[in-house]
Amino acid sequence: MLKYKYNGGLKLDNPYPINEIDLIRIPLPDKVVLPMQQRIGNQAIPIVSVGERVLTGQIIATIDDQRCAPVHASISGTVVAIDEHVYAHKSGLKGLCVTIESDGKDEWVDTSIGCTEHYENCTANTIYNKIRVSGIVGMGGAGFPTHTKVRLAEGCHTLIVNATECEPGITCDAALMEAYPTKVIRGVEVLLYICKAERAIVAIEDDKQDAIKALKKFCNNENITIEVMPTKYTSGAEKLLLKSLLGIEVPTGKFASDVGVLCQNVGTVVAMFDAVVENRPLISRAVTVAGSAVKESKNFQVRLGASYDYLLSFVDIKEGSHKISMNGLMMGIELDSTNYSVSKNTNCVFIDQLEESKPTKECIRCGLCNTVCPVDLLPQELYWYSKSKNIDKAVEYNLLDCIECNCCSYVCPSQIPLVNYYQHSKALYKQQVKEKQQTENARERFEFRELRLERNKRERAEMMEAKKIALKEKMAKDKAQKAVIEAALERVNTAKSAQGSQDDG
Amino acid sequence: MTVKLLNTNQIMRQVSYALALGIGAQVYFFGLSVFIQIFLACITGLITEALFLRLRGSEIKPAIIDGSVVLTAILLAISIPSIAPWWIIVLGVSFAVIFGKQIFGGLGNNPFNPAMLGYAFLLISYPMQMTQWPADYLSMSQAVDVIFGLSNIDGLTGATSLDHLKTQLTMGISIQELELNSISQLWINIGFLLGGIYLLLRRIIFWQIPVSLLLGVVVMSTALFLVDSDQFASSLFHLVNGATMLAAFFIATDPVSASTTPSGRLIYGFLIGILIVIIRVFGGYPDAVAFAVLLLNITVPLIDFYTQPKVFGK
Repeated sequence: MLKYKYNGGLKLDNPYPINEIDLIRIPLPDKVVLPMQQRIGNQAIPIVSVGERVLTGQIIATIDDQRCAPVHASISGTVVAIDEHVYAHKSGLKGLCVTIESDGKDEWVDTSIGCTEHYENCTANTIYNKIRVSGIVGMGGAGFPTHTKVRLAEGCHTLIVNATECEPGITCDAALMEAYPTKVIRGVEVLLYICKAERAIVAIEDDKQDAIKALKKFCNNENITIEVMPTKYTSGAEKLLLKSLLGIEVPTGKFASDVGVLCQNVGTVVAMFDAVVENRPLISRAVTVAGSAVKESKNFQVRLGASYDYLLSFVDIKEGSHKISMNGLMMGIELDSTNYSVSKNTNCVFIDQLEESKPTKECIRCGLCNTVCPVDLLPQELYWYSKSKNIDKAVEYNLLDCIECNCCSYVCPSQIPLVNYYQHSKALYKQQVKEKQQTENARERFEFRELRLERNKRERAEMMEAKKIALKEKMAKDKAQKAVIEAALERVNTAKSAQGSQDDG
Repeated sequence: MTVKLLNTNQIMRQVSYALALGIGAQVYFFGLSVFIQIFLACITGLITEALFLRLRGSEIKPAIIDGSVVLTAILLAISIPSIAPWWIIVLGVSFAVIFGKQIFGGLGNNPFNPAMLGYAFLLISYPMQMTQWPADYLSMSQAVDVIFGLSNIDGLTGATSLDHLKTQLTMGISIQELELNSISQLWINIGFLLGGIYLLLRRIIFWQIPVSLLLGVVVMSTALFLVDSDQFASSLFHLVNGATMLAAFFIATDPVSASTTPSGRLIYGFLIGILIVIIRVFGGYPDAVAFAVLLLNITVPLIDFYTQPKVFGK
């Protein structure tokens, strides 16, 4: 049992239990659509053109940005389009995608680049590079490039492998661990080698007994501990996981790496193992397909870029109107259709039967929300100030520390979508800060202009003054000279007239 | 935590149900007049709320069925003497709904406990009608006659134990000589206590306010009792007389007007408990729950601000 714990959180049963967790490999899709935009950073730039033939594992887009990873072709075939598609994102914005039509051969490019021998014969830098060119990013949903994250945590003392499965209903990590327990353990060893941490903890929730058994069976490294945790929602959040495992509270605004800990999702560890040891770039992932409208929940190992429709053709879906969502019931997002494709951070697709939405009531400040908030906020106060658009006050009540886990909305007796309010307030706050910065900039510019005009005026005045003085001096000098000349002339004249009078005389 | 989650309407209904035992005890000792008061209160409350919602141009049905106005009406109805004339409760409930709740924007926005605001209004305006409790069990016909002013109230009323204590003490009689044990008050308080325990078990209310409130009553009354046991009643007397249990479990726990942070609730409840005893002992009115609760309602923003829990990572 764990020594430490965080406050709040929710014990939630898996709404879509699976009897036998299995990772099903599905046939190659006919077509894949690969987005160029990743979680953060700039859009990758395609380096292939329409009509070009590409091989599986070939890099098709790249960008020189430490926050992004290159994109690989997940099947072999022909590039048929490079155009804009709507992304599976809350914003509903469009972005550039590369569409590849399969030739059904799955022909691989030669991926044996970089560290091709045993990884222990390579330097950490070579391995970082290998991870980068293999396109490995955080598979738990964050999508942050692994090479950057590991490099930031260099010199850490502990490596935590997050195998908690972030939300109820998602079982893709459990499926992955049961299918490839050795890859998990070996992957952890690779990570330990490059980040040089003394020990690794694999954190796994107690509802995944089969996965725990599998890992324990293959783990014979004494630096790796398998830590079984009670199943509780939001335990998978990095900072909360750190608190429950090590008792360390990462300060606001800091990261796990600042306290000497590297946290990696178990899916990422497996992907990294594939890249470093087996020379396979990230071209597929495990996805859970579940929901109240799905007859039997399943986990699929699917090529990136395959459409949701393709994925859903392998499960039985009940008739009726459906609610489609991805990345979970609590923190995931609702989608308008199944016309999207699997990306590196798609961990699940849920198809639920459409339920009548319950009417929202007024907040009665019952305070149930603050008992479940894992970061000890007062959601009722945040709601009060968010509703009245009193953003400064909401920020004073630590709005920015909200991790948007939705525990508060889940228990709210008045069914208020609390987190929506917080997200809105956060956006307003960002806007406010930006505007403030802009006004500040404008003020600075204005003040500098005033200063400059003032200085010009002063300089001109000084110059004029100097000129005046110079002129005066010159005039005085001229006058003096004139006087001298006149005096000389006088003398000459006097002399002349004296001579004249002498001559006359 | 795995608890069946209730919605707001269900919470309001559960609180109303939990009052049943206390109301039962009141009916047992005072007669069915209690029901007449509750009936009048609910009708008045619903009509006033509907009218006011209409004036405000908001939807009537969801607010009417949320149960909050009925709960306010019941709380006020069982707080006033069961033989008070009909216009007392009608006036009180209208005042509570309009000035205690709707004027601030309806449910969730009121800084004061509406029922207690109505009670304080009535007590200040009509002290005579508000302090005449039935001396004995009244039959239905007697009750109807009294409430609707068809017969004279004289001879039917008596003082409550708190009232009795106050008047006797001013006459220089020491506590030991007084016969203070009021069996009706005891059972009514036990009824509300049991209802409150039900709410605690259902996790509809948090333990902090009732526990700290009762503690506040005990601490303050014990302190006074230790100073002079002839002049001041014991804590047990204060616990089972007047509206102590009703206040601890049903009135101070009104979430809208109470403190909302865990440690804030402790302070809030404790201070109400202290104030209840102080106002009872030194104030001009026999019972003090309404004033104590209203005074602490004012301090809620301050308490909440200074009792924010430590945020993760700060």
